[in-house]
Amino acid sequence: MTVPITTASKGSKILGITSIIGFAVLILLAFFVTDPDIRFHPETGEEFGQFDAVRLLYLHVPMAIVTYLAFVICAIASAGYLIKRTFWWDSMAHAAGEVGTLTCALVLITGSIWGRPVWNTWWEWGDVRLMSTLILFLLFLGYLALRGAFVSPQRAARPAAIVALIAVLDIPLINRSVEWWENRTLHQKSTLSELKIEDLTLFTLMLGILVSVLVMSWLILHRFRVAWLEHMEFEQGVKSAIEERRHIDNKEQ
Amino acid sequence: MKSLEELTPRQDRIEKKNSGLLPKFAGVLLLVIVVIVLFKTLGNASLFFYPVDEAVEKRVELQDRRFRVIGTPQPGIIETTLSGRQVLVFTLCTGNVYADVAHEGDPAELFNPGVPVVLQGVWSETKPPSSEKLLYPANDGWHIKTDSMVVKHDNDYRSDRAELESCSSE
Repeated sequence: MTVPITTASKGSKILGITSIIGFAVLILLAFFVTDPDIRFHPETGEEFGQFDAVRLLYLHVPMAIVTYLAFVICAIASAGYLIKRTFWWDSMAHAAGEVGTLTCALVLITGSIWGRPVWNTWWEWGDVRLMSTLILFLLFLGYLALRGAFVSPQRAARPAAIVALIAVLDIPLINRSVEWWENRTLHQKSTLSELKIEDLTLFTLMLGILVSVLVMSWLILHRFRVAWLEHMEFEQGVKSAIEERRHIDNKEQ
Repeated sequence: MKSLEELTPRQDRIEKKNSGLLPKFAGVLLLVIVVIVLFKTLGNASLFFYPVDEAVEKRVELQDRRFRVIGTPQPGIIETTLSGRQVLVFTLCTGNVYADVAHEGDPAELFNPGVPVVLQGVWSETKPPSSEKLLYPANDGWHIKTDSMVVKHDNDYRSDRAELESCSSE
């Protein structure tokens, strides 16, 4: 069997092009077409709101959602690995864990940039949602470090799967923190579940979520295929070595 | 010489883990970090804020302590001076309970009547300066001297139809 020289396929190319076009439309809508968040005080007539800072939410919120999704995929694949013990499940967990860690970092960065004008602070130590998200990021950073700490990826698979299954438990804590510890966080409650968003604002946010899911799928797919190619190359190397050894043994006999 | 069978690759067989010290150490370290961060986050009262009504109720208890209070600033924000320093004087409320505030330092960029803020400071058993100019004064002989302000905005993005955080004015 020959090892393919690319991670792309017709399907992944379509997914990639759709993601890029979707992302371009999202940027256009988020930063140029949608209105800034401006309201008027009924008594004083003064303007207030988040103004242009609201535009970052079209990136921040979808990225938070795909972070949850990527880590849930990682946890499901980790459970799959612990049951089946096959390379497929382990590679899927690794790929989703890597992509989730990347998006989680972006969530923390975009949230911080947005927080400066809106909250008046870059970061708030003690804010339950910020800290539980930071913990999630650290846990999955540890997950990736753990995988790198073993010389053989096969040896890393089991402990990494256990760490992923523990780390993912932080997600419901993050999601519910704004309800459970309302007076320990500056974060607002969920806008989508209370439907306090409408029209183009809602459409742009939904498009952001859709595009982010496409980008995440695209990245996970390619990362998975890279791992698969590495695995195949390794297996082929082992097979060649065995063939060579057999050849030598036959000669000696 | 080894037999040929011993060299046959077994694709799906995973080697038994021969645990090294490094992964164990990394795991324990990670766990310790997470526990410390969790403990500090959930146990640390630094971000715990009282709504105005609770802060007023616990005024005597809180008198000498710095605390955080959340409430909605009312219209009629006054710029004045206190001990030669620039302060903003306004009324903060939660529900029907009001507290006067004298805030020293730069206000948040989005500070405006109707936008809830979290302030940090101490109670003072005096009226704030220029309190007679306040539109909705608490008029209880107390005010909160604050020096830190962050905004806790709402979750409403419906522009024209957005509900405003407000207190019922009497």
